[in-house]
Amino acid sequence: MTLSGYEALFFWIFGLAAIFAGLLTVMARNAVHSALFLISSLISVAALFILARAEFIAGVQILVYVGGVMVLFLFVIMLVNVGAEERGSEEIFNNQRQVTASLIFCLLLVGGMLYSINTGYRGLQARYPATQEAVAAQETIRDEAHAPSATGSSRITKDTESVGSSLYRYASLPFEIASILLLVAIIGSVMLARTLKQEASADDVAPENAD
Amino acid sequence: MLTYLGAIFLQQGDTTRFDLMKQAAVNPDLSKFLVIGALLFIIGVAGVLTRRNIIVIFMSIELILNAANLNFIAFSRYLSAMGNVNAVAGQIFAVFVIVVAAAEAAIGLGIVIALYRNKETIWVDEIDLLKW
Repeated sequence: MTLSGYEALFFWIFGLAAIFAGLLTVMARNAVHSALFLISSLISVAALFILARAEFIAGVQILVYVGGVMVLFLFVIMLVNVGAEERGSEEIFNNQRQVTASLIFCLLLVGGMLYSINTGYRGLQARYPATQEAVAAQETIRDEAHAPSATGSSRITKDTESVGSSLYRYASLPFEIASILLLVAIIGSVMLARTLKQEASADDVAPENAD
Repeated sequence: MLTYLGAIFLQQGDTTRFDLMKQAAVNPDLSKFLVIGALLFIIGVAGVLTRRNIIVIFMSIELILNAANLNFIAFSRYLSAMGNVNAVAGQIFAVFVIVVAAAEAAIGLGIVIALYRNKETIWVDEIDLLKW
């Protein structure tokens, strides 16, 4: 699996965009700016998903993350008051020693990860000794089986179909468990976010006796 | 010193290490996806460890989960290119990661709202009720 041509170009564009937007998410002073940078990072990662031929996950990422979770984040940012942060009167990072220690930890971690990716990928290549040309030829044969699109310039992907059928065949129990998890999350967030007065009215206490 | 660097940089044989790097940049493969995932993960970890704003800490956690998703998708693509019939399992796992992230964000932001109502702060170093 290697990308080539325009795919490689867009891989580097979106990969670097994801990393820079992630950095700005962490470093932005205003929390709303952080959320907007995180949205651009998530969209760049969705583009990387499309380059890896996971079109369904890319769509889910944009719909659920960008359309749902990030809007929730923006609402909460606007509910809590962050004026002091914007005016620059509050320090946005922890104290100096903690930041230094955690950055050293992060540098060690990234060094270890890059080293292990390098050596591990070499081991993986040794385990699957097929040459790139042979893999690409097999892929071309598999792609030829797909129907051409209306314009004829590309082929219609079966990604959504395969994810959906596998989700219901092999992962149906985790799927049901995930639905229960979401139900628990809905009820739990309603319970957590309600005020004392709302709690009292749910228990049939008169509002003036709530305290 | 220069010969030492040159020995690192130039490989034996007719292709230099620079040529290999150029070839890897023109044809990015699985390991490049993993490198981008690792960098996003580290940025998220740095955000969790250094920021004081609890909402930005939550956003950094989303960044970490997204980096894990990128690795799942990249390995799924790699294995399907290798002809593995079960390679779609990576994409299914990514769906579940997204579900758990959504649930975590809903609960976490509910906690943030409750905390802000009671303590009037979003700075994590001022929320020290359990610190003795």
